[in-house]
Amino acid sequence: MSSTLEHTIEYRPDFAMVKVQLQPGQQIFAEPSAMAAMDTSIALKAGLKGGLKATLGRAFGGESLIINTFTAGQAPGEVLFAAGQPGDARHYELTGGSLYLQRGAFMAHGEGVEVTGSWQGAKGFFSGEGLVLLKASGAGDLFFNSYGAIIELKVSDEVIVDTGYIVAFEDTLQYNVTILPGLRAGGKLKTLFFGGEGLVCRFAGQGKVWIQTRYIHPFLAFVHPFRRVKSKN
Amino acid sequence: MKHQILARPAATIVRLLLEQGESVTCQVGAMIAMSTGFEVETTTRKKGGGGGIVKGLKRMLAGENLFINHFSATGDKQNITIGPGMMGDVIHHRMTGGTLYIQGSSWLASDTGIDIDASWQGLGKAIFSGESMFWVKCSGEGDLFLNSYGAIYAVEVKDQYTVDTGHIVAFEDSLQFQIGKAGKSLIGSFLGGEGLVCKFKGQGTLYCQSHNPPSLGKMLGPKLKPR
Repeated sequence: MSSTLEHTIEYRPDFAMVKVQLQPGQQIFAEPSAMAAMDTSIALKAGLKGGLKATLGRAFGGESLIINTFTAGQAPGEVLFAAGQPGDARHYELTGGSLYLQRGAFMAHGEGVEVTGSWQGAKGFFSGEGLVLLKASGAGDLFFNSYGAIIELKVSDEVIVDTGYIVAFEDTLQYNVTILPGLRAGGKLKTLFFGGEGLVCRFAGQGKVWIQTRYIHPFLAFVHPFRRVKSKN
Repeated sequence: MKHQILARPAATIVRLLLEQGESVTCQVGAMIAMSTGFEVETTTRKKGGGGGIVKGLKRMLAGENLFINHFSATGDKQNITIGPGMMGDVIHHRMTGGTLYIQGSSWLASDTGIDIDASWQGLGKAIFSGESMFWVKCSGEGDLFLNSYGAIYAVEVKDQYTVDTGHIVAFEDSLQFQIGKAGKSLIGSFLGGEGLVCKFKGQGTLYCQSHNPPSLGKMLGPKLKPR
């Protein structure tokens, strides 16, 4: 039973909140602490999901081992989800293909979808965002979130995205992590070291990429100097 | 160069569309995504122009980076998406020959024809204005993009206008400001938490931000683990 979930996303793009209407017996699976409110007709069960491999894969992909399952009982009911950080959320319907998600971008999925880690080899390492991406596949609903607004880019040729801003992309796209183009060995290496646009992801093919308009590191770098200094004694 | 500002005011970004031969100068790290037909160059000066390391160092004192990035379109219909690091707004300002003074770190991008320098604001203002010691000084003609922490609003100053220290984003050089006390008595001003304010005089455009980053930092700092 992989009927599409009835849902709305409100308060976009700064404080996105996903509202899902579950029919009796319908289920949705969400990352821990994503649930903000729910009707009493909904039963919550925490647990590992998808077996050992999928579970560990998710953990390497920067998500929790635990997935919460929400099931509507005799009566239909509503569940509300929101991320910890202010930001946007999007719905994506999987129809047999796969969607890759950046660390921490997974929010919830419906029946018929599996989310696991996907080892990206050396290119994952160079992206500076962790070795493993999350991979959602199957047929059904998927919700993902960001810090900042989410912008959809349709790739029909090639597009370059700073690695820190990638939220999700379709598996129909090929990608490789590179330093900003225009740079050649022995050439203008300055752009890499001083230009701040170090590593970028180059997507090619036909498909969609979702980017976030902010990422958290500049904010953390701003806050850091305001922390008290530990006394030496 | 065409532009489109999206996701205002908290997560704002700008999408620029450039034709072959057009170029734009951006703050280091501002690039989020772009098409592949750009040549990227990192320098300390205006594209193809003078200034060099001295202007770069001055810009650094004003709270910007020593280096700036130039993106030049090598084909038609090339697009680039840029945004600031912190949550906040971005606005477009069309420059028509005058000079705009910009608070350090609020300059996001400008036409390559615009000169980017820094200017000392004087010791008294430097200490009391709650801004950095230097202002980024932009002059020339073309499009300019400013960013803030919080939302940005424009004020057409006709006579006088008062802004709390730390809330200035930019102002035209037809305006001058002085540091003064917010209330009639100095003690009253400080007890009211307003302390000193910037009093603008003249005629011109002033851009203010709804929030101010140092206030956020002072609020968060003591709640975090010591470093």
